[in-house]
Amino acid sequence: MSDGDAVRAEVETMLALVRERYGGRLDAEQLAGVRTAIEAIVLASRALRAVRLTNADEPAQPFAAYRAEP
Amino acid sequence: MAEDVVFLPVRQLAEGIRARRLSPVALAEVFLDRLERLGPRYNAVVTVTRGRALEQAQRAEAEIAAGRYRGPLHGIPYGAKDLLATSGGIPTTWGAAPFKDRCFDFDATAILKLEAAGAVLCAKLAMVELAGGMGYRQPNAAFTGPGVNPWNREAWSGGSSSGSGSAVAAGLVPFAIGSETWGSILSPAGNCGLAGLRPTYGRVSRHGAMALCWTLDKLGPLALTADDCGLVLEAIAGRDAADPTTVDRAYRYDAGDPAARRFRFGVLRGITDGCEDAVRENFARSLEVLRGLGTVEEVALPDLPYDDITRTILFAEAASAFEDVIESGAIAGLTAPEDRYTAYARDAILAKDYLKALRLRGVMAREADRVLAPLDALVAPGRATVAAMLGGEVRSAIRGTARDVMGAVGNGAGLPAVAVPNGFVARGLPTSLQFMGRAWEENTILAAARAYQSATDWHRRHPADV
Repeated sequence: MSDGDAVRAEVETMLALVRERYGGRLDAEQLAGVRTAIEAIVLASRALRAVRLTNADEPAQPFAAYRAEP
Repeated sequence: MAEDVVFLPVRQLAEGIRARRLSPVALAEVFLDRLERLGPRYNAVVTVTRGRALEQAQRAEAEIAAGRYRGPLHGIPYGAKDLLATSGGIPTTWGAAPFKDRCFDFDATAILKLEAAGAVLCAKLAMVELAGGMGYRQPNAAFTGPGVNPWNREAWSGGSSSGSGSAVAAGLVPFAIGSETWGSILSPAGNCGLAGLRPTYGRVSRHGAMALCWTLDKLGPLALTADDCGLVLEAIAGRDAADPTTVDRAYRYDAGDPAARRFRFGVLRGITDGCEDAVRENFARSLEVLRGLGTVEEVALPDLPYDDITRTILFAEAASAFEDVIESGAIAGLTAPEDRYTAYARDAILAKDYLKALRLRGVMAREADRVLAPLDALVAPGRATVAAMLGGEVRSAIRGTARDVMGAVGNGAGLPAVAVPNGFVARGLPTSLQFMGRAWEENTILAAARAYQSATDWHRRHPADV
């Protein structure tokens, strides 16, 4: 499968999910808009996945255990 | 009081108030009148808060008369982007028709801090619906209509803090509070010829502000000068138990004269690629000015998908923050047609990809700090384009129709930046120059911006016919 075919397949899969969840609210023009937005998301995700990170590269996200103070 | 106080910087108004040459009540009346009379021309105002303003102004006047002067914002009118919660029956609409009658019973921390500083809330200012997080492509994306630019009423004032930009530029308030997730302070500041300061993430409490993206949202001022931005930042900065992302770093604005200082500026390689010609030309002229203030050198960041990192975080968090609005179908009530459906696409973002973006954000933050460490600031055009026309399409890095490495890195890594006007182009529209610094270096970038403003007079120009 070519890269372009892989992108199109991923877009169609995601679009099917959105159609399943929200299709009743969307007309053809809106669905086309959603498809365009999904294409951008898929391309961005692929760009992120193309960068290799190590196991030590953690999310830049603070989390702290919580305990209510008296 | 005559309208000759309009377009005076906060610092000068404050001197007049402190010396009791200016009455806070009379000052409030001037700006309330302008908000009511001229606000509709620019679609800048959601609610004029006349009752609260006069109450605060009368209190300020009495306190100052009794010798209890609180500081440079005491008695100064201002406006707040309408995503900051306000009590007392003042609506907080988030710019969105489904929320146009909604009221909160508390004040956002920034509103409370400004009240403690003695500032006078005169208006809740218009904004792009839900701060632009639903994917708008056009200026007409608020129930109040498109933000109209005081420099050219056929052009957009910018987004998403559109009213904050147009109200200050039109002299309806001396300063305003805006918010930025990606571009929403620097964009209206640039489009409207103002100074706009995006503080370091965690510098200003977001408590009571509409959440678009918890890890990207920042609150900051738009004003006539970089100096005024520093005065306002000092009032709103600080740790807040109600916002756990705020930090225990005291902020005191350093207003010292930057004239004796030599700055070291960096310019990212290729930063003007994709800029409009006029923007590129004004930036080149700005660099000549900056070379008189210090050194300018080209620097580079490693090749990473910066826009994709910040965009993925923004889309995923916005989809979650507005899950109820999206899944209930309430977005169908939004103004811009594309805002009624684009967010549905965000279900296509996988958790793994969001986490990858958060992991890459750490790399991005470290690389940005490495590049910035020997510098006082990275400088760049505030925006790649001048303001869009009201009937046109908005080019946006958030949607991928423009590139904005400075915005992607600056917002993704939570770094401070200030934009100031650096010239004008055809159609009478301003362009801007941004200074971006290391985390917590607001004083450094403000000093650089003030030095630039001391060497130029773009900030002293104001729209005609206001």
